Amino acid sequence: MNIQLLVSGISMGVVYGLIAMGMVLIFRSVGIMNFAQGEFLMFGGYFCYTCNQILHIPIIPSLILASLMMGAVGVLFMRTSYWPLRKAQTKAIIVSAMGASIALKEGARLIWGAIPVSVDKVADGNVNLSGAVIQWQNVAIIGIAAVLMVLVYLLLEKTFIGNIMQATAQDQYMSSLVGVPVIVSIGLTFGVSAMITGIGGGLLAPIFFLNNTMGTVAGAKAFAAIVIGGFGSVPGAIIGGLIVGLVEAFGGAYISTTYQLVLIYVALVLVLMVRPQGIFGEKIQEKA
Amino acid sequence: MQSVKTKMKSISVPKLFLAVGVILACLAVPALSSSYMLRVFNMAMIAYLCVLSVYVLLGMCGQNSFAQAGLWGVGAYLTANAVLKLGCSSLTAFTISVLGTALFAFILGFAFFRLRQYYFTFASVGLMTILNGLFMNWTEFTGGALGLSNIPAFTIGGFVLESEVWKYVMILPICVIASLLMKVLFRSSMGRSFMAIRDNEMAANCLGVNSLLTKSIAFAISGALCGAAGALYAFLSGYLSYQSFTYQQSTMYLIMIMLGGTASPTGAIIGTLIISLLQEWVRPLQNYMQLIYGAGIMILMIVQPEGILGGGKAFYEKHIKKKKAYTPAE
Repeated sequence: MNIQLLVSGISMGVVYGLIAMGMVLIFRSVGIMNFAQGEFLMFGGYFCYTCNQILHIPIIPSLILASLMMGAVGVLFMRTSYWPLRKAQTKAIIVSAMGASIALKEGARLIWGAIPVSVDKVADGNVNLSGAVIQWQNVAIIGIAAVLMVLVYLLLEKTFIGNIMQATAQDQYMSSLVGVPVIVSIGLTFGVSAMITGIGGGLLAPIFFLNNTMGTVAGAKAFAAIVIGGFGSVPGAIIGGLIVGLVEAFGGAYISTTYQLVLIYVALVLVLMVRPQGIFGEKIQEKA
Repeated sequence: MQSVKTKMKSISVPKLFLAVGVILACLAVPALSSSYMLRVFNMAMIAYLCVLSVYVLLGMCGQNSFAQAGLWGVGAYLTANAVLKLGCSSLTAFTISVLGTALFAFILGFAFFRLRQYYFTFASVGLMTILNGLFMNWTEFTGGALGLSNIPAFTIGGFVLESEVWKYVMILPICVIASLLMKVLFRSSMGRSFMAIRDNEMAANCLGVNSLLTKSIAFAISGALCGAAGALYAFLSGYLSYQSFTYQQSTMYLIMIMLGGTASPTGAIIGTLIISLLQEWVRPLQNYMQLIYGAGIMILMIVQPEGILGGGKAFYEKHIKKKKAYTPAE
């Protein structure tokens, strides 16, 4: 019973961790919170649905295809809603992302309809572990998410492209001086962020059906995960995602399902009160 | 004498025309529009009060809050409970709402403003979600998922302001008074403290501004505005549901003020009118309504990042200074 909750909590947690990681990558790169990240999750899920259910491609290739398409969506999103505003105030970028989030949500409803849909599971069936019934899909989600996180780590730390992306994140002006094409680098960051988030959508689809508003709720939880984990920290985003997933699973089982989101945000406010910079965050020095 | 003369001079002819035009427009709205459009205008004015509360927090004090719709809800439910359960008169209920929400915001402000800038914004998103959860589940106070219905219309001295026109006549002066009060606040020492905090909090502290107290007062003022808006909403619609007081509604207020421009209440008026009317104009497109609405917000923001009022400056920056070497955002 408890193991069951634990596994489902962790598997939800890693998906929130993926979304949160996407948000953190964008935040570190351009210093804004992407309020449309949840919509990337929803779009990724729908792309996966198109490949898997309509074009009848097996689930693993469709996940990869969906993720590639999401990369294109991420670049497009960056070009339309971030790039024209890069010199404006941060508030303006946030509002533009909110507009984009509404447009994406409605675009998905017009393309795929309002009826919830689903995709194939990566791994079917259940496993019985000393009385606890665990879905293989949950285990697969944890595995795939872990692989993705390692890949992102390798991409950022060990490859040339990753170094370019990190350099741009640290100082755009400086990296433009040493010859980094800033627009390409930021575009890549948005693309990678959308790709990992999109895969999360494809993984969640068999458990929760896809609909055009799922992104908002998931985005709100990922947002809580970032703040709990520490603002701007990639490991923090993953740990925060796990905490949110576990609070949701156990809170839903033992306290109340109607208060799930409330519980998460109570946890967020508590963490902020005790440790404003989050678990992994560094204290930001106040500039005079 | 001198100051009076300069004041007289400063009221120029175009300004006079503008003022007359605005008054005529205010009178023309109830005369020309249908009862449905009047309801749209009434709702827009209520939204305007909430946007004004964002103006106090964001435009003056530099604090970005996503909890305004929650405070609006607190105001609305306070009024509904005062009228339905305690049997207060309308005016008392209105006062309870304004003061109660202000007090609520003031106390919360003390807790939440220990967090700075971004962190406050995040905490306010949390507060909004928690409040919405409470509205949905706290059956005694909010009627739970069913909501509260049969709230009587505003009554004063035995006269019931039942029709849409009378409601318009009631809400408009409150909006005007609130705007004038904001003008007074803008010029007061309190307003200047707000702006000092917005521009540089540390410098403001050095000059002797108690930033925690000042920000809490700003939050309380925004709470009072939201409380007034909530009370008016309760009297206007007669039915309250938790679905009105959502995070989406809060983002709407932010969008409204950002579109108009955060620098003055005029920006708030422009933004509120544009969004409220845009929603009505795109309604005939039905299926595509939300899509066009979302894309419209995006495009407006890209074309006018400083809001419509600050648009001229942004235009200059974008097209004339474009040739300058690349500088990073912020």
